Amino acid sequence: MSSQPSPVDALIRDQKRVHAGNLRLAILSAVVVGAASTLLLGLSGWFIVASAAAGAAGLAAAHAFNVLLPGAAIRLLAILRTASRYGERLAGHAAALRALAAIRPAVFASLAAAPPAESLALSRGEASARLVQDVDAVETRFVRLSAPWSAAAGLGAGLFLAAFAGWAPSLVILTAAGAAILSARALARRYSAPARIAVQTKVGALKDSAAALVSAAAELRAYGLEDWAGQTLNQRAADLEAARLAAARAQGLVLASQAAILGAAVAAAMAAAAPTGAPLAALSALAAAMSVEALSGLAHAFDQDGAAREARDRLNALLRHQPRPASAPLVEAPALTLLDQTLQPGERLAIVGPSGCGKTTLIETLLGLRGEAAQPPRGAFAWLPQDAGLIAGTVRENLRLAAPQASDAALWEVLEDAALADRVRAAPGGLSAYLGDDGERLSGGERRRLALARAYLRTAPWLLLDEPTEGLDPTTEARVIEGLEQRLTRTGQGLLLISHRPAPVRLCDRILRLDETAQEKGPAVAPPGLVVTP
Amino acid sequence: MSAYTQAMGSRIAQIVHPLDSKAWLKRRDRVAGPVVRRAQAVGLLDGLAAIGFAAGLAFGADAIANRREPWIFSLCLAGVLAAMLLRALLAYASARMGAEAAAGAKVNLRAELARAVFGGPRRPAGEATTALVEGVEAMDGYFARFLPTRLSAAVLPLLMIAAAAIASPICAAIMLATLIPFIAAMILAGTAAAAESRAQFQALERLSGLFLDRVRALPVVLAFEAEGTTTAALGRSASALAERTLKVLRVAFVSSAALEFFAALSVALVAVYCGFNLLRLLPFPVPEQLDLKRAFFVLALAPEVYAPMRRLAAAYHDRQAAEAAAARLCTFEEPAPAPTVAPLPAAPAIRFEGVTVRYPEADTPAVAGFDLDIPAGAMVALVGASGAGKSSILNLLLGLSPLTEGRILIDGAERPVTAADIAWAGQSPLILPASIADNIALSRRDAPRAEIEAAARDAGLEAALAHRPGGLDFVLDERGSGLSGGERRRLSLARALLKPAPILLLDEPTANLDAVAETQMLTALRRAAQSRTTLIATHSEAVAALADKVVRL
Repeated sequence: MSSQPSPVDALIRDQKRVHAGNLRLAILSAVVVGAASTLLLGLSGWFIVASAAAGAAGLAAAHAFNVLLPGAAIRLLAILRTASRYGERLAGHAAALRALAAIRPAVFASLAAAPPAESLALSRGEASARLVQDVDAVETRFVRLSAPWSAAAGLGAGLFLAAFAGWAPSLVILTAAGAAILSARALARRYSAPARIAVQTKVGALKDSAAALVSAAAELRAYGLEDWAGQTLNQRAADLEAARLAAARAQGLVLASQAAILGAAVAAAMAAAAPTGAPLAALSALAAAMSVEALSGLAHAFDQDGAAREARDRLNALLRHQPRPASAPLVEAPALTLLDQTLQPGERLAIVGPSGCGKTTLIETLLGLRGEAAQPPRGAFAWLPQDAGLIAGTVRENLRLAAPQASDAALWEVLEDAALADRVRAAPGGLSAYLGDDGERLSGGERRRLALARAYLRTAPWLLLDEPTEGLDPTTEARVIEGLEQRLTRTGQGLLLISHRPAPVRLCDRILRLDETAQEKGPAVAPPGLVVTP
Repeated sequence: MSAYTQAMGSRIAQIVHPLDSKAWLKRRDRVAGPVVRRAQAVGLLDGLAAIGFAAGLAFGADAIANRREPWIFSLCLAGVLAAMLLRALLAYASARMGAEAAAGAKVNLRAELARAVFGGPRRPAGEATTALVEGVEAMDGYFARFLPTRLSAAVLPLLMIAAAAIASPICAAIMLATLIPFIAAMILAGTAAAAESRAQFQALERLSGLFLDRVRALPVVLAFEAEGTTTAALGRSASALAERTLKVLRVAFVSSAALEFFAALSVALVAVYCGFNLLRLLPFPVPEQLDLKRAFFVLALAPEVYAPMRRLAAAYHDRQAAEAAAARLCTFEEPAPAPTVAPLPAAPAIRFEGVTVRYPEADTPAVAGFDLDIPAGAMVALVGASGAGKSSILNLLLGLSPLTEGRILIDGAERPVTAADIAWAGQSPLILPASIADNIALSRRDAPRAEIEAAARDAGLEAALAHRPGGLDFVLDERGSGLSGGERRRLSLARALLKPAPILLLDEPTANLDAVAETQMLTALRRAAQSRTTLIATHSEAVAALADKVVRL
């Protein structure tokens, strides 16, 4: 492996540095918790047995027995344990939450900087796996940062107590702790990691299947396939449940190994310390129990580790790309070369041809969403995609994607040009009206016009409009085309238009016909399938 | 961002009905009952093993102190080992049974939700998919871990205290005395923090949704060079949420600190009391005189009183996830069982009278006061902009959109239309990873091969079959094996042709097709509509020209 830390590790290291204070506090608290828990029970056991011995030896011995120190120590340990547990959890979570709030956007930025062939091929299921589950798996690396310290402190305290009874019980505890750690790690690697990884993949696949079924709701209803859909979904989920069961069994194995080792350790420690008398034997037995128990946090971390490691590898693959600065503002409008045609700034070209002949592909290539990097840069274009492509948010948020600083007046102006201002004005909230996922509260035609308004808002020498009036009635279509024509005259923007409809094509002075022999390509983002190969 | 969160806030306020979701979750508990109970029983057995472990330790210490026979000491140690081996076995069994219980409960839940999603009123696609996958998966930990632990947490502390009472009633009283204020503190802190932490949990989920949404919109984000601003906005909402979460956690962790405090206090008090009792130095008279084995037994049991509640606290996150999911899932109601009516014998006359469709949460009705008379066997085209309500009218007959006002008469009578009466074709049919023949036969699963061939031919699929190896037996992969848009629509039409239903609904059968492909489809459409009452939603004038009557919305 190279000495250069991987991108995820670098991100985590930076965040660890930023939140070093909290993390140190968490570790310190964890050490106190681990040690105090072991000492509390060990000391209590010794105190009782020693008291019993002193009590049995008569009143004089009882009075000679120092009760104040152990009693006070027991109470102090109880309070220390409480306070440090609170400190550990709060400081650990504070560091983890703040670190995650920085890591997730960084992952998104990297994804956005990746070549489109990579980033746009990410299905919703996969995106959810990367940005949600994988980053969450990284969270455990912060929250569990204190686990080994707590375990070490618990174990150390146990060894310290057992040492009073001689080297034998200490050796027993050390051996048991080694066995507990090694077995937990081996079992987790062998069984937990593959199962947990499988769970993640299967959830993504199930998601794609469900999406395919849901989008066919009308068809399922017409053919009476409602129950069939549920059964199909459950069939697809069978793999997922098998993976979950395997993960649970693996976790059960880890827990079982810890319990068995604890039993053996307690029995052996007690036997080893028996010659030193009952008080020290009791102390050793409880010390052994608490020492192995202190490792349970570590065992749990091993159980989750495989998934975290896998998540890290996947995130590393994603984080290879450095965010690029936006393209510099264009000094002058560039000319365009499209197939064998050259377009001068301000020209208007309609691309027509049968469906599937690659019109949309042509536009997406121009934008650098396919194939080679964009030439000219993306700053030259304002785009209306075929599927509108709205974000979950308000009207204002959707429009400001094109111009983050735009004033409300500017927003109303472009809405007016896209023949959507009346509709937005009528909606409760106006520009602040929330549109739902992908603008689901709007009709298809309204979505398209909002996306058109967004394209208008961007100052760019070329407008790329993919089916701007599809799904509009003739009256609205006429209004939209009128708005477009006035805008073009006013701004002098060039236009590249794809349309099946004659009205918008009439705006263009040149027409490019793509023939049917052109190779058919799917859309940049494939529709969800019923199952997805892992 | 603030507008977004506000809007989301109002949305959540509409959706969450804590009472409904609680009742919903209770009902799931009952349904899952039998399977979960086995896992719960395992948890209770674990408590008995813990008592055995403590007894083994106590008798072992006693055997050393009183110099009993070596075999007695060995027996005690064997008991300690056996008790822990039993606990090991039970830990494995409980993990396994929990997972099995969860798998079973989720199969039921998925089937039930699927009936609601596919059989009930239409829901936004994203919402429905999330419910079917993430919603169901969010219940996993609840069934696998939380429910099995809950009974242990309620029963085992009392069982441990009862066992302690056998050895020392006063120690049992001490344990009970620490348990009661702990429970009181939990109830006080719990109810106050629960609502807030639930809201927090939902906010976290929304944040994940926000990230996923921006990934979905990535082509647009890239094209508008909004990577920087989008990342910055995401970072701001993530940070704001982290700070708010921390505020909640400061309170929430008080409950875990209380758990820790009373657990430690219980151990400390028991130890100090037992020590003084054994020394006979108690400043007040007590009715019991302990010996070593009783005292040690009680001490070894003391941490176990709180252990089940600690395990429950560890599973609390699972419960939060389930509650947040329940708030959404309880809005999916199973549709009433379809009334049994005989299938229509022949193409019916259909009459819409003053029909209004208003979707919940919509500002304006999708269809208002719509009237239409379709004679038996006629073909009517609904033409108009998207959003004018064409699909809503089609969906009315499928029961996918709500009939808010007015009525629909079939052959002059108000009669439900069932799946048996309807054939349907649209623009993006469901493609199964199966042969083309099986894909067509989705509309009639028992159709003979000859009829499938005829349907494929009549739908104009011949050219598509000719250049695929195996023709009808060509197996499509999950992405549809590169079926073109036109071929998908023809496949959909073949399904409609295969099913001899008296009503045919066509939803944009030629959208996004060029003029040549559209003309080729027209013949097939005409054939499909023969001797059926047909309703077409379309933008295309060429398709509308096929119809006996054109309605402009």
